[in-house]
Amino acid sequence: MAANYWESSQRRRWQFTREGLEDLRKKLEDEDPNLVQGYPLPQLRHLSIYFNQQVARLGKRLGVRQQAMATAQLYIRRFYTKVEIRRTNPYLVLATAVYLACKMEECPHHIRLVVSEGRTLWPDFFSNDTSKLGECEFFLISEMSSQMIVHHPYRTLTSLQGTFSLTQEESNLAWSIINDHYMTDLPLLFAPHIIALMAILLALVLRPNQTGVQSAGNAAGGLASAAHAALSSAGSLKSSNPDKANGSSRTKVQRLASWLAESNIDIEAIVDCTQEIISFYEVQEQYNEKLTREQINRFVKARSLDK
Amino acid sequence: MSLTSNPPSSGGALSSASQSRQTLKRSVQQAFDDPVERGAGPIGYQSKVRVVDRYKVIGFISSGTYGRVYKAVGRHGQPGEFAIKKFKPDKEGEQIQYTGISQSAIREMALCSELSHMNVIRLCEIILEDKCIFMVFEYAEHDLLQIIHHHTQPTRHPIPPATVKSIMFQLLNGCQYLHANWVLHRDLKPANIMVTSGGEVKVGDLGLARLFNKPLHSLYSGDKVVVTIWYRAPELLLGSRHYTPAIDTWAIGCIFAELLSLRPIFKGEEAKMDSKKTVPFQRNQMQKIVEIMGLPRKETWPHLVNMPEYNQLQTLSASSHSKNGGSNLEKWYFSTINSHSATSMPTSNASLGAEGYKLLSGLLEYDPEKRLTAQAALQHPFFSTGDKVSANCFEGMKMEYPHRRVSQDDNDIRTGSLPGTKRSGLPDDSRPMKRMKE
Repeated sequence: MAANYWESSQRRRWQFTREGLEDLRKKLEDEDPNLVQGYPLPQLRHLSIYFNQQVARLGKRLGVRQQAMATAQLYIRRFYTKVEIRRTNPYLVLATAVYLACKMEECPHHIRLVVSEGRTLWPDFFSNDTSKLGECEFFLISEMSSQMIVHHPYRTLTSLQGTFSLTQEESNLAWSIINDHYMTDLPLLFAPHIIALMAILLALVLRPNQTGVQSAGNAAGGLASAAHAALSSAGSLKSSNPDKANGSSRTKVQRLASWLAESNIDIEAIVDCTQEIISFYEVQEQYNEKLTREQINRFVKARSLDK
Repeated sequence: MSLTSNPPSSGGALSSASQSRQTLKRSVQQAFDDPVERGAGPIGYQSKVRVVDRYKVIGFISSGTYGRVYKAVGRHGQPGEFAIKKFKPDKEGEQIQYTGISQSAIREMALCSELSHMNVIRLCEIILEDKCIFMVFEYAEHDLLQIIHHHTQPTRHPIPPATVKSIMFQLLNGCQYLHANWVLHRDLKPANIMVTSGGEVKVGDLGLARLFNKPLHSLYSGDKVVVTIWYRAPELLLGSRHYTPAIDTWAIGCIFAELLSLRPIFKGEEAKMDSKKTVPFQRNQMQKIVEIMGLPRKETWPHLVNMPEYNQLQTLSASSHSKNGGSNLEKWYFSTINSHSATSMPTSNASLGAEGYKLLSGLLEYDPEKRLTAQAALQHPFFSTGDKVSANCFEGMKMEYPHRRVSQDDNDIRTGSLPGTKRSGLPDDSRPMKRMKE
């Protein structure tokens, strides 16, 4: 359903367990082990960081809103649970995802513009032919079974801003944590409101530690250490013993804790989510853009996927 | 090819490796990855299912700006019949190219994939094949346009009151579901309201529907004008740029009136766009509304004065019949429902009574903020008093409505060689065009 997450295709068809997701990906790799061995790729989270950067570059040139870029990243992630990445031209797939997401999010761009911007960004890997992108759109929609309406955590964040008296700074931090979660499997594992609560919790816990505030993506070290505090805080929430208050953000954490305790929200899931994003921020520190790009470009060229 | 890979054309370890696997059982995906299996030509996207393999087309139903609709039955025991809507590729007849799917087709595909309600037409599947989009829906034998038309032949005889009541309840129920899910239909009219042979009413054709929960910019900016003019809400006629669920409930009010009188209640003539592509004030349509409803007044519709076309209202005249420009709706309603009671007609809508008027006037309320919502209309005493509302709008009827006309002229869903053939035999052809290109 369009407005009801609980009956949405997102929950019914695109929410997986970790094991389920692993099986899907394993099955794809097993279909053609030689292909997988012939073209080693960095770990998925590093690929996702690379895709995120490329989507952001394209989005910037087109002037696309964050939410449409989030939708595009989710489309890419769904698509690659069903199609082996080495069989595709990722540059075409991500440009197509942006093109489609913009239509869904009511900020459409002409196909010719998307193609010409793609061509500018990736001249060696992107065809001038708009019909290639149009064809890829069929592929993308078909693999997603036309289930293109997605629910993002941003809405929950916005609606809970007042409830937890988030400052602009805290809210921005939570927002950027949500932006970051599209580089992980979290959107395929958890409901958007769980993600939003994780982001709020993390933002509140990080808030006193000023290093994390500026850019969640870049200050991974600061984030990781501060996030451990968030974890233990979440743990204390679970045992409903959140009364070690000092400072206003602590009080807000307390308020969040009692709010959660009164709700039916799965606190285990929030803890799980928090761990996942922290581990992502750690992995992000080892990201090597050059290596990632080379490995992607290698199979695209060798397999003539850009033609 | 961009999406899927050619096996390397010149030798190498990879090539032989891929050939040695030819004997392995292939997935469907691999099958269309392989140019050898698909015959000559460049490889690319190919559907995993083919529409002609899954369905047997038994006739052509209608065509419109979007493409064509065919009637079909399943080839693999899928129960029931189907209506397959084929979106026409941009240039029919010429060499078809992928040009990007229109935003309205994307919306309809996405929305129909999510929605599920007994009073909204059900999507069975979407097949993307050969650069065409096929949306497979459950088939409905009738639509309200057909049913209304049938009651004008050979002479006018009213739709039975129990049928009217059931249709209205089901229609509002489907609409309420859409609105609860932040979906605006935007094109409710008798031709888009389907009725199955079991008397279930289904809101159909979500081709213009949109989500309204996150309007990035005003909903107005996308497509210029929406909703067939006879069913267009006064706030839209007065230039409002904000679509709200109230535009759908106005249209339902118009449909209710039409079920009673068997003619469109506000049958205006559409003013065409001028060469500068500015949207004209729909004077004639507004005049038709004013003739029955009287002039809208700022005392009862506070935001009226803020409407872009407010000044145009002064140039309209209230009907000479209306006292002080007040509403004639009550008079219109009672004379309509009683019109057949004096004759020998067995059925009359007189039993719909005063509650029917209250419901109608609540739906045809000028001020969109005061207009009945679908939810409120469902709670209206009209449905809780008098005869019980049946889930089958044909319950107790002795006659059967004629079946949908299906032509045999164009049964080839894959080529669809005759563009622009309109559905024949129904007065819809003469109705004003409502869509403007996005």
